[in-house]
Order: sequence, then structure tokens, then C-alpha cells
Amino acid sequence: MERVRTLRKPKVESYIDYSLVFIVLFLLAFGLVMLYSTSSYEANLDYGDSAYYFKHQLGPTIIGLGAMLFMSYFPYRILKKFAFPIYVIAAGMLLLLIPLGKTINGAKRWLYVGSISIQPAEVAKFAVIVFSATLVISLKKKLLDPKGFGTMLAFPAFLSLLVYGITKNLSSAIIIMGIAVVMLFVSTPGYKRYVIAALSVLALATVIVLIVANSADSSGMNYRFKRILVWLDPAAYASGKGFQTIQALYAIGSGGIFGKGLGESMQKMGFIPEAQNDMIFSIICEELGLFGAIAVMLMFLLLIWRLMVIANNAPDMFGALLVIGVMGHIAIQVILNIAVVTNTIPNTGITLPFISYGGSAVIVQLAEIGVALNVARNIGR
Amino acid sequence: MKRRKEKNKQKFTIGMRKKLVVLFVLVLLAFVGLGVRLILITKNNGEEYQKQVLSQQQYDSTTIPFRRGEILDANNTILAYSEKVYNVILDAKILLRDSKYLDPTIKALVRCFGLDGGDIRNYLSEHPSSQYYILAKKLTYSEISEFQGLITPGSETYDENIQGIWFEESYIRKYPNGSLASDIIGFTSSDNTGMYGLEEYYNSTLSGTPGREYGYLDDDSNLERTTISATDGDSIVTTIDGNLQTIVEKHLYEFNEQYKNNAREGNGANNVGCIIMDIHTGEILAMASYPNFDLNNPRDTAALIGMPAVDEKGNKVKGESVYDSGVYITEEMLQNFTDEQLYQNYNALWKNFCIADTYEPGSVAKPFTVATGLESGSITGDEVYNCLGKLEVGGWEIKCHNTYGDGAVSVSRGIEISCNVAMMYVAQAIGVNTFTKFQKDFGFGLKTNIDLAGEARTEGLTYSASNMTSTDLATNSFGQGFNVDMIEMITAFSSLINGGYYYEPHVVKKVVSSSGATIKNIEPRILRQTISQSTSDKIIEYCNQVVAGSEGTGKTARPAGYMIGGKTGTAQTLPRGNHQYVVSFMGYAPASDPDIAIYVVVDRPNVLYQDDAKFATRIVRAILTEALPYLNYPMTEELSEKEKAELETLREQLVTTAVAEEEQEENPEEVTEEAGETEEETTEAPEEKERNSIWESFDKDPTTGYYVDPSNGNLIDPDSGSVVGGDELPDFEGVPEEAASASSSN
Repeated sequence: MERVRTLRKPKVESYIDYSLVFIVLFLLAFGLVMLYSTSSYEANLDYGDSAYYFKHQLGPTIIGLGAMLFMSYFPYRILKKFAFPIYVIAAGMLLLLIPLGKTINGAKRWLYVGSISIQPAEVAKFAVIVFSATLVISLKKKLLDPKGFGTMLAFPAFLSLLVYGITKNLSSAIIIMGIAVVMLFVSTPGYKRYVIAALSVLALATVIVLIVANSADSSGMNYRFKRILVWLDPAAYASGKGFQTIQALYAIGSGGIFGKGLGESMQKMGFIPEAQNDMIFSIICEELGLFGAIAVMLMFLLLIWRLMVIANNAPDMFGALLVIGVMGHIAIQVILNIAVVTNTIPNTGITLPFISYGGSAVIVQLAEIGVALNVARNIGR
Repeated sequence: MKRRKEKNKQKFTIGMRKKLVVLFVLVLLAFVGLGVRLILITKNNGEEYQKQVLSQQQYDSTTIPFRRGEILDANNTILAYSEKVYNVILDAKILLRDSKYLDPTIKALVRCFGLDGGDIRNYLSEHPSSQYYILAKKLTYSEISEFQGLITPGSETYDENIQGIWFEESYIRKYPNGSLASDIIGFTSSDNTGMYGLEEYYNSTLSGTPGREYGYLDDDSNLERTTISATDGDSIVTTIDGNLQTIVEKHLYEFNEQYKNNAREGNGANNVGCIIMDIHTGEILAMASYPNFDLNNPRDTAALIGMPAVDEKGNKVKGESVYDSGVYITEEMLQNFTDEQLYQNYNALWKNFCIADTYEPGSVAKPFTVATGLESGSITGDEVYNCLGKLEVGGWEIKCHNTYGDGAVSVSRGIEISCNVAMMYVAQAIGVNTFTKFQKDFGFGLKTNIDLAGEARTEGLTYSASNMTSTDLATNSFGQGFNVDMIEMITAFSSLINGGYYYEPHVVKKVVSSSGATIKNIEPRILRQTISQSTSDKIIEYCNQVVAGSEGTGKTARPAGYMIGGKTGTAQTLPRGNHQYVVSFMGYAPASDPDIAIYVVVDRPNVLYQDDAKFATRIVRAILTEALPYLNYPMTEELSEKEKAELETLREQLVTTAVAEEEQEENPEEVTEEAGETEEETTEAPEEKERNSIWESFDKDPTTGYYVDPSNGNLIDPDSGSVVGGDELPDFEGVPEEAASASSSN
């Protein structure tokens, strides 16, 4: 490192993408404010401390900023060497959940190291970005063969299956697969197969929805299928499975154009369960209105745009792929989260990056931004 | 560095950049799509959802019940109070959050409340998301205190594994004295609304304002939970003297025990009522009727047995013959009652006979006739009339109770022996206009506005000057032909003997806040002056003769050791000739300077021959014998040996009164029979021997002791000379206005 820096210093000024840094810091600060606003009522009821969730998010955010800073100085090219170990560590952590994981709400999702809890699924997202980028680089032209294409999909698919099999977390599994597919989409020429794949997934989803919607008896159904019924008509399940969805819709609808004002949400008072997690966007809508919601979406769009710019100007293919992975990760999560909150797709637990409550997620996401910043640093070099 | 650069020569191609832009455009489209969706939700459903959100908020507040005010007697003895009770509520959702809560919680429930653990588990498995299920109702604080400790953080026995149980507070109304003053107090329905009596009349005073617990956002947008505590209702202090009330009710009960199932299956009378009033203030000191009921359990069917059944309008069901006083409720009838019929009869039981039932007063109205005559100047009081046993008025021959005639009857003697003919002469002297005007002044046909719910409306039950015939005037003069209720009579009578001041009767003298501060004092209220002091003095003089005079009809009302005054009444009922009577005694004590008035009415006593005011006078005597010493009036009369012995036994009873009363409430079957009553009759009898009337020359019937009229075989009461059960008068059924017949009095 030292050597690298001393060598370069006289040659070029290192490029720092300030707009990306600003956007991320804005989202983090905004996220903490909204998290406090959203969770203070329930935190006070459950823990007697209205800042409970705020405090528990502040620590990981600071650690995440440290990780971002570290990764922005950590030469991304070295990651290539660590790609396979990272993949193995992620898979190993997932497997460790089987004996060590603590069951909360019927699913094993957290590993406890002392008082710190880690969510291996978040680590797996990072692992899949690094590993897929490395795989694309090493496969090169072979990527165009069915075999290479298959290999490229197999590794993320394995991780994704582990996540789904062990943590029963479908949304994380979808995100992991989604990141790999996005990276593959950019790194291979042609649209035909992607359009066909997208259409067939769409067709399959339509068929499933039609079957579920027309089945007479819903009692024996898997809860995922029931969620489809809820999605189709949330009001019919308003007191049961559709409660969260319909309450989120109430929150969005009642906010109006400029919202009720920061902290003025009524829905956060017990009506939207755990609003600080998946449903925080609905509270943003309620308190800040359409204006605030669209401003937040624009910030995310800017973030994604900055990432695209970095990828386009990346000094090499690996850097570009890493940034595309990060971009895909954030884009997929934001889109799916808002789609769930607005009941555009069936309910599945997806958090809003940088804003929702969750320590592991914010650390991993900030580390990913750090990687992107490091790639940006090397632009023009 | 160089090495690395060589390896990573692979550059980002133009094709890839294009695809990246395509990807970005896809993301952009998705964002636009979601943005549009957000706008649509707000635009299309915004208003509806806003309402939804607001309506949901209201569920976030809970109501805190208020405590209903107490009802106290004049000595601050509690007659009615509200006790805080707790319902045990199970919140299955909270309990089932963690399986470790289940066992300790159910164990604690079983231990503290004796609930069935299996039932709770069944309920939990069937309704895992239920948040409100009542496990146990109306437990007292001592019953829940142990469990309360288990769920209160910080207490010694706190167990954090006991979850999902909380207590809902409410109040229940309790009446510590059971049936005491049941007619006056009334009771409450389950939603704390008063029914009958004071509970109904003073409902808004006794009720407080429920409190509320709710959440709101403060200036810093923090959610605050705020409790507006309930405002408890005000208490009322009544003028009722609990001890006096107990004495009155004891004797009404004893009367019933003595005469129930006597001539017919049923209570001792259709109704027995008694009011004691302070004549200088209009305060009711005691007011009771029998049958009464247990205020803690007003829907106890046992209290209905023996009562005359009523129809849907509240009128008594007529018996098969006109001689039947009614159809009396039996065990079998109860079983066949529909719910509607049951409630009709409950209403008859719950209503206060003393203020709600109207009847023809009979001879107790005679002092009013005389007072009207004296006050209006129509008579001087020195007149002497000739009673031939009957008088022809308006074409009707109206008879006296003593159809053989009493000869020369002065105004004073007219009251003493209760002569109808003398009264008719007085009324003729008064005339229709003055008579009806004074009736209004005495309050007949008007509500007294006593502060109790359910006072009868008597308007239209009296005559006005325009529709009163001479016959009506004649019968009205001795209390037949117009209807009154008890409270009207005693309120008016009080004005006759207190110098003419007509006080508004009242039961409540003070309203007190829940903290004990006096909110309102209810002072005695004089409504009008009915007669002058001199007339009042004369009425007292005449009425004293009823008890003290040699021919007095109310001698049996005199309590041992005291002198009282008053007037008896034996009123015929409709249809005439049905052998059904309402007997009464209205009196005052002490005789020289009256302080209290007492009025006892026995509606159709359960005896073969009902037309005997002694059924009422004996009750008066029994009550006053106990009440006057209690009220600290010194004895003025000498006691006979018999009376001494009687008082001795009474004193012995008084020592154990408290215990005896307790038993009475719980076990009405156990009766302490008082023998003194029946003996009294015989002791009084010899004193009357001086009298010499035509009927006393007749032979005595060996079985009944009554005289027999040789001309028609009628039995004649040896005390009064009135023909027993014999309504030789024409039956005016169907035209009661003219009917007015009359062997009223005693």
C-alpha cells in the first residue's frame, strides 16, 4: 500500500466520488432520523427506552462507515484473490446456523458471537458480488458456452439455496440470485435469452397466481401461497395476514402530498408491526408525504446513477463488475422494498438499504459502497 | 503493480456499457412505475385511508369506570355502596409469544383463581390470536391481590414468565342491609343505571363521569399516555332513620307472618304500607311496604309468591268471583309464567306502594272535611247533628257504618266514632266550591313531588267543582269516591296537625361529594298554608279523642305508655259490595304536641271479614311501642300490668335484635311470633262496656263473638257496631261516580 501510494502520488490526484459519498451520508442520516421517528413509540413500550432501536442502529452505522473507509483504501484488485475464501466463509456461516442459530419467529437467521448478532445472509450478498465478478473474469470467453454460463449461475444458486434452505428467507435468496443475474446480464452480449428468461418467469408467476387465486380451499396452503391471496385482496385479510400490508397502504394513503410532518405518524403506534424494518418506507410516506417519498426514491436513483458512472469509467472489467454487483444489490432491494410496501408484489421481507433497521445489512452495504469508492479512486489510472 | 495491470487488462467493453445503460433504464422505469403507484394510492384512496387511520386511533383509548355514589341514612349508615371488582382478562396473543410463559401462567391462574387449566389450554389452542377473553368475573381485591403481586414488576413475588393476563376494573352495587328500605332505595341495572326509588330519581347525582386513558402526541411528537381519571358520583344522605325503618319493616313482616295463608292462600294482605314523617320538616323518617325484596337480588322469584298477580297493564288479575281479592302467585304459577308475565309482576313488586298505588282513603279523610268546615267558617265546631244511621242525598240513601244510628253527634264525636252522617252534614254546609278548593290545597289530585321515582299521578282522581254532585260531595266527605296515595295523605295530614304548614315531602337532605364535602343541603320547603293554627289545634283535639275517647275507634292504636292521636279508616273498594276493604290508621305522636306522623295502610287484609281498622291500628301500636322510646319521647301514661309485661318481653327482644334481624334477612322462614298483639284485643274489650247502642242488645254469635242482628242475621262488630262484611247498600257497580256508598270507617 505505502509503496503504491508513494509511487502514484506525484502522477495523478486520486479521484474521490464526493457526490456518491454525499448521497450515502445523506441516506444514512435520513435513515437514522426516520428510524428514530418510526421506532420510538414501540421501543418505549417494549423496552422503556424510545431510542432503543436508534442506539442499536447507530453502532453498526459507525462500524459500517469505518468499513466503508477501509474498503475505499483497500485495493479492490486484491479481492480477486480472496474471492473463493469469501465464498467459502459465507457458505460456512450459513451452515453454522444449523447448529448455532437461534430460532426467532420460527426461523434461524442470526449467529450470535457474544452479544453481537450477525446475519450470514447479508455476508452472502457481499460474497456473491465478489465471487461472481471473479468468476466472470476467469471464465472470459467460456462464459458464452452453455457450460460456462451454467457454472456462472451454479455458484450463486448454491449460496441462494443455502440461504433459502437454512434461513427460510426467500427474499434474500432472490436478491442473491438477482445480483448474479444482473452481473451476468451486463457481462454477456445479447438480450434474447434474458428476455425469454424474464418472460418465462413472468408466465410461471402468472400461472401460480391464477392457480392460487382460483383454488377453492385455501386452508391447507403453504403460507407463501396465502401471501399471494393477501396480495390480490389485502382488505379481505385485513385482520390477519393482510394486516401489515393494509396498514402500510393506509399509511401511504393518509400521508397526502406533503405528509403529516416528521414524527407525526399515527400508523407507527402499533398499527404497522415492526415498522422500522420492512415497512419504514410507508412511515416515510405518511410523515413526509409523496414529496418525501419521491425525494428518497430520487436519492436512490442518484446513488444508482453514480454507481453506473463509476462502473462505466472503471479502470478494468473486475472493478466495473464489482460496482455493477453493488448497484444491482441496492437497486433490487430498493425496488422490491417499495414494491412490497405499495402492495405491487406479494409481501416478502425486504429491507430498504441504509434506512431500515438492521446492523449486518448496513455494515455490508457500506462496505460495498467502500469497494465502489475504491474503484472510483482508480479511475483514469 | 505492473504485474497486476497486465493481468487485468480486460477492459469494460462498449457492448457492456450499453447493457449497463439498458439496466439503468430498466431500474429507472421500475422507479417511475413505483412512483406512479405511490401517487395513485394517495390520489385514489388517500381520503378513505386517512379516515381509516383516524378511526383506528380511537381504539387506542380505554374507559375507566366511575364509582357510583353511596346512599346513606340519616345517621350515615350505608344503605347502598359500590364496590370495585375485577374481571380477569386473558390476552392469548401475548401469552403465546413464547412457550415458556404458558405453564407458569396457567399454573398461577389455577392456583389463584381455581380455574380449570384444561379449559384455558383448550381456549388458547382454539383462539391463539384472541386478545380479550374473560376468565373470571367480579372478583374482589382480596381475591386478586395474590395474582396481582405476580404480575406487578418490582413486587417480591413478581414472576416475569406470567404474561398475557390483566385485570379490568368495574364496580358492582351492594346493599349491605339486603331488603331494608328496598322500596325507597331501588336498585341498579348492570350498566349502573338506577331503577326505582332513589337510585332512579337521583341517578344523575349518584353517577359520576367515566374516565379515559388515551395516547396522544406532545409538542415533541412523543407519544404520551394520559389518564383522565373518573369522577366518582356524589353520595346522598337520606332522612331515613335506619333503626326506625328496621322497626317498621319488622312489624310489617310480622303482620304478614300472622295473616298469610289465613283466609286465602297468599300474603297477609295485598299490600301493607307504612310512612313515618317529621311533620315540622316534611322529612320521611321511614317508609316501607310489604312484600319487599332483596336489593342484592331483585329478581328472586321467591319474593313474588303470595303476591296478587298483575296483568300487562299492572292491574291486579281479577279472581273468579267479586269476593276474591285477587289471584295469588303460587310456585306452579311462577313456573308457567312467560318472561313478560314475570316482569309485569316484578314491576308490581319493585314499585313503591306508598307513593305509587292509589285507593279511596275512607274515614281518614274525615279530619280534612272538618278542617275545611272550620277553616272556611262553614261550621264553628259546636254543631250537633242527629245521626239516624243514614242520610238521603241526591236520591241515594247513604248509610253510616252503624245503620241503627248514633243519635246526637257533635263535630268532635263525629270524628271520634267516625260518623258518616255528621260528615255529610258538614260537607253540605261547606258546599261543592269550597270543598274542592280545599281538596286542592291539601294536595289531593296533585303530586307531592317527593324525591322518589314512580310517584302516582292522581290528577283526575278527584272531583272539580263543576262535575261534583251533591252525592259525590256527601261520599267525599268521608273519604269515598276519590283516590289518593299514601304520601299525599300523610303530607296533607302533617299540615293539619303542625299549624297548617304544607311541607314538600322529601327523602334526601344532603348531597355529599365523593371526598365528603357537602355539595347541597336540601332544606325543608313550605309550599303553602292549608289551615290556620286555631283550626289545627281543634283537629288535634278531635283526633286525640279517636284514641283517647271512650267511643274512639282507634283505641287499639295507642302504644304502651304514650298518648297519640289519629284517625282510622275502613274504605270500601270497587265494585261496591265485593267485601274488599282498605283499612288504615293515620296518626301522630305525641298527642299533646305532635312531632311525627304515622300512616299505615292495609290493602285487603287476608282475613274473612276485612272491614276492621284494627288490622292497621295494631300495626301502628306495635311500631310506636318500639319507635317512641327509640326517638326518646318520655312516657306520659301509666302502664298497666299487661303493658309492663309486654314492654319487658320487648326489651328482652331488643337485646338480641341485631342477631334476630340478621337471621330474618337470611332466613325469612324463621319468625319470632309476637303474642302480645292478639292479647291486646281482649284487654281492650272490657273497657268498652259503658257504651250503650241498639246493636249491643242483640245476641252474641258464640263462634265469632260478634253480635247478630235478629232482623236479617247480619254480624255486627262488637267494637264499632258496623255490620261485618254485610254490604246491604245497593251495588253501584259500573257507575262509581254515583256509587259512593259507604260503610266506611271505624
